[in-house]
Amino acid sequence: MTVKTKQLIIGVLGFAFLGSLIFVQAMEVARRRQEAGLSPHPIAVPAASKSCVECHDKSSPGIIDHWEGSTHAIKGVGCVECHLAQKTDADAFDHYGATIATIVTPKDCGRCHKTETEEFMASHHAKAGNILASLDNFLAETVEGHREPFNPHSPTPGHDVDLVNGMASVNVGCKQCHGSKVALLANDGGLITVDDLKPDDSGRPTNSEALARIKKDDNGAPLLDTSAWPNTGIGRLNLDGSLGSCSACHSRHDFSPRRARQPENCGKCHLGPDHPQKEIYEESKHGVAFRDLKEHMNLDAHDWVLGEDYTQAPTCATCHMSGHSRNGGRVTHDPGERISWSNRPPISIVMDTDAKGAVIKEKDPELRQKLIASTWQEKRQAMKNVCLHCHTPKYVNAFYSQYDDFVVNYNEKFAKPGQKIMDVLHEQELITNAEFDEEIEWTWFYLWHHEGRRARHGASMMAPDYAHWHGMFEVAERFYQELIPQARELVHHAEEAGQTAQAEAVDQVIEDVLARPEHQWYESAKKLVEAGKASLVEPPPAAVAPDAVDSPANATPAATDDAATPAADAAKADTAKADDTADPATEKKADGGTDTPPDA
Amino acid sequence: MSRLSDWFSERVPISGDQLRELTNEPVPNHLKRWWFALGGTPAYLFVVQIITGILLAFYYQPTASTAYESVRYITEDASFGWYLRSLHKWAATLMIASVILHQLRVYFTGAYRRPRELNWVIGMCLLMCTLLTGFTGYSLAFEQLSYWGATVAANISDAVPLVGSFAKQMLLAGDGYNDRTLSRFYIMHAAVLPTTIIMLVAVHIMFIRLHGVTELRFEDEPADQPRHFNFFPDHILTELSIGLVLMILLSALATIFPATMGPQADPQTTPEVIKPEWFFYVSFRWLKLFSLTFAVISTGFIVGAMFVWPWIDRALVKATGIKEISVYIGIVGTLLLIGLTVWEAVATH
Amino acid sequence: MADDRSGQDSHHAGSDRRAFLNQTSSVVMCGGLAAGYGTLAYQVGKFLYPADAGKGVWQFVCTLEQLAVGESLPFTMPSGAKVVVARQTEGDTADAFVALSSICPHLGCQVHWEAVNERFFCPCHNGAFDANGKATLGPPAKANQQLTRFPLQVEGNLLLIEVPLDSITITPSEGTA
Repeated sequence: MTVKTKQLIIGVLGFAFLGSLIFVQAMEVARRRQEAGLSPHPIAVPAASKSCVECHDKSSPGIIDHWEGSTHAIKGVGCVECHLAQKTDADAFDHYGATIATIVTPKDCGRCHKTETEEFMASHHAKAGNILASLDNFLAETVEGHREPFNPHSPTPGHDVDLVNGMASVNVGCKQCHGSKVALLANDGGLITVDDLKPDDSGRPTNSEALARIKKDDNGAPLLDTSAWPNTGIGRLNLDGSLGSCSACHSRHDFSPRRARQPENCGKCHLGPDHPQKEIYEESKHGVAFRDLKEHMNLDAHDWVLGEDYTQAPTCATCHMSGHSRNGGRVTHDPGERISWSNRPPISIVMDTDAKGAVIKEKDPELRQKLIASTWQEKRQAMKNVCLHCHTPKYVNAFYSQYDDFVVNYNEKFAKPGQKIMDVLHEQELITNAEFDEEIEWTWFYLWHHEGRRARHGASMMAPDYAHWHGMFEVAERFYQELIPQARELVHHAEEAGQTAQAEAVDQVIEDVLARPEHQWYESAKKLVEAGKASLVEPPPAAVAPDAVDSPANATPAATDDAATPAADAAKADTAKADDTADPATEKKADGGTDTPPDA
Repeated sequence: MSRLSDWFSERVPISGDQLRELTNEPVPNHLKRWWFALGGTPAYLFVVQIITGILLAFYYQPTASTAYESVRYITEDASFGWYLRSLHKWAATLMIASVILHQLRVYFTGAYRRPRELNWVIGMCLLMCTLLTGFTGYSLAFEQLSYWGATVAANISDAVPLVGSFAKQMLLAGDGYNDRTLSRFYIMHAAVLPTTIIMLVAVHIMFIRLHGVTELRFEDEPADQPRHFNFFPDHILTELSIGLVLMILLSALATIFPATMGPQADPQTTPEVIKPEWFFYVSFRWLKLFSLTFAVISTGFIVGAMFVWPWIDRALVKATGIKEISVYIGIVGTLLLIGLTVWEAVATH
Repeated sequence: MADDRSGQDSHHAGSDRRAFLNQTSSVVMCGGLAAGYGTLAYQVGKFLYPADAGKGVWQFVCTLEQLAVGESLPFTMPSGAKVVVARQTEGDTADAFVALSSICPHLGCQVHWEAVNERFFCPCHNGAFDANGKATLGPPAKANQQLTRFPLQVEGNLLLIEVPLDSITITPSEGTA
């Protein structure tokens, strides 16, 4: 081989080497590009939080690791920015030179996230903590436990039990979703809550007497009462007067938007026998599509706008909270903004809300009109704008027609008659005013609180099995096979006890209900046999009708605009009376309590 | 132009002819066949190792707490870090492979025989240094496997009679792997062993120059062909093209099988399967076959025999009268070598 | 012309061609070597050049309400270096704010704000800077120097500052990545 050939070979090899290096370069570029998408943003621990991170990285590395994965870390928001407290705050304490508080409230978050906090404050979510007088709370505090500590039955081997905390079920159950009333231990053995501290608008306590009573541990830190903490319930009543907890949905310490966008996040509370929204969603076409297409839904996107970042499937957040292409990508932290029916109470009501965001219960059309700040129609339109990303207007309107019909059918066939029967039993004192001490009270509670809600929520989110078999079928069974027989048994007992007038009054209501055409099927055959006659069912007495048609103007959206029709006018005298009784003790308690955010 | 060359030749008083004289060792014809140029291959790869090694040292930190992270930085964050690390890793593999091939060639052609026995011994020293460099380098990544590999190796050396525990102490800077072990490995890998190799290579080449390369003639060569060709530029060009082929090969290996990151060393958990680098498979399998003491002593015996093979060979030839006895022994040895390596490679425990 | 020459002396042309070939193969060889090893050298250079150079991270300073016009607050960078962040005008854009390093560009001493003289003062060589960081006195003024300004950004009602990343990165451990 000559020198020249060798030189040429070397030249060729050199260029081949160049080729392989170009391939290396291409791999490097591809790697960089992939890394840009995968690798976490560079983060730096803010100087003010440096010592927090150093120490907690050893003592509780989980919270540091979570924080490192948060947007807070990327933007240089450290520990003290959120946990910072004023020396005057009730729960403030000195922690290695920094004045901090354990519980971070919406007021703290609102220092930066202003709009979000305001929207949240206006939402039903924020009011979820007001359950003290509600039916649900009575259940957990009294029926399931006991409001006062009580003595144990017998010793528990190996575990000293002096007193039983009867509030255990409330603390672990109710309050973990609804939120607790945050309490500090007092020197006198009592508790100090927001009620004692009387904070001003900025959250600073104004009652120095209460401040002075706060018990402190050896390090000078106030002690949080375990009845109220740990707690991230969405309606927590905080010491600074703010309502709620942002970490209910944005779990600390990574506050992941990705997680808040997924149904599992809502599923901590919106599930179970009384409001299985999560399960309903999962069985719907929406949930099925989400499970399948989750990976393509761009859940890490910065704004996550429906129609721009994704369209594959809706999650809870998509419909109730997230921004979409038709509203300019505006996210709301009030999930009630797009809900037109409140399916929470025994009888569904439309979501006309007042300036404070509360659902209006006023029945007088004129007064009602004055109170309304946002109509249910506006809310429905807001929801339709979400639906329209995947469905035609015709489809959406037809869906709402089906949904309205379903709710109205439930209201008129079972909820209002059931309510009427319960009311007359109370009125005639055939049952006591105490809750849950009679079988029929449990029956009625099951009917509207569990089965009735399952049915309505099933219809609202397109899960047919929940609408029917877990819903209306069980409502009907409860109504015909338990509520009516139990009411009649109470009538029978009253008759035997000589309370004839009361018994007759109740019996009249029951018979009036059953005589209505939609209920006639139930006993028509039996009556036929009893009478032994060939004559068919008598037409229902005309006089009954106005009584039984329980103020449609206030209950069905379709009828709201027709408030001035002659029929309604004619019924006015009667309905006025019925209206008073239609809002019975049970409903008042339940409503005052907001035991569940409506329908969401 | 001439002013410049005048200026230069005045300060570096050597003429082109003298330079040619110095470097131009006549190269025997058989070196035109590539398998005789295997000695140059490890030399070239060694240069690659020095360059990539220096580059990696820019980022590598030899402490237990930062070593793994710094390797991760090189592999994941630094531009082309993964490529240079892969080059270093693959060049090491090829270097050891070519050293072994070079030695096999020398062995089977009997090139170690009189008067070149001493160069064989130096070659053996080079082999030992190369293997040690490979071992220490592998430990530097501070991955689970390399950590436990080093631990096991240290405990093996502990089994050597008399000097064992001393050797272990010297290797680990203590009774067990500790904070000072890694810097010991590092300085061995990056300074002591490379310097030793450079000096040994210098002596190795000096011996070659003094003796001349063993000349071989092949039957297909015309008798009147000159028996030598020029080192410069002829042989240099051959080496250059071999170098480029190696670079392309290394680049291909580096991109197809880049060096990855194993799990970080964890002194509390021994991995289910621990294996050393492939070039220690032989001794690892050997250790599993026999008791520790026997395996260690026999390994020492075999290595010792290899060092003094030129004299053993002569004694054997004299004793048996079979001139090719070393070839037969070599075939058996090589098969054993390959067999044990393959066995260990396919075995899962 | 070419015809003439080739007709006249073909032998000469042959040696020309050989010389040309000689040259070509040398050029090809040098080109190949330069292309291959040159590219490798370039990549080595990239490897040695710090990967994070010039990169910064954003850090939260304060909300816009917390800083009134004419006021300033000290911000400590993750590296420990002090920065003065001041609001100079109304307005909710980053232009209304300025973030100045408190390290003197002359020889690296620490400057401090003198409210009375409305200037930053460096005690080492009596250097002074106005509120915008421009040198007004001393060696820095002679060299026409300026206190280093850090980029600011307003996001919503939050003021963010970009600080250099060097020596302060926490590498998220395996699990969180």
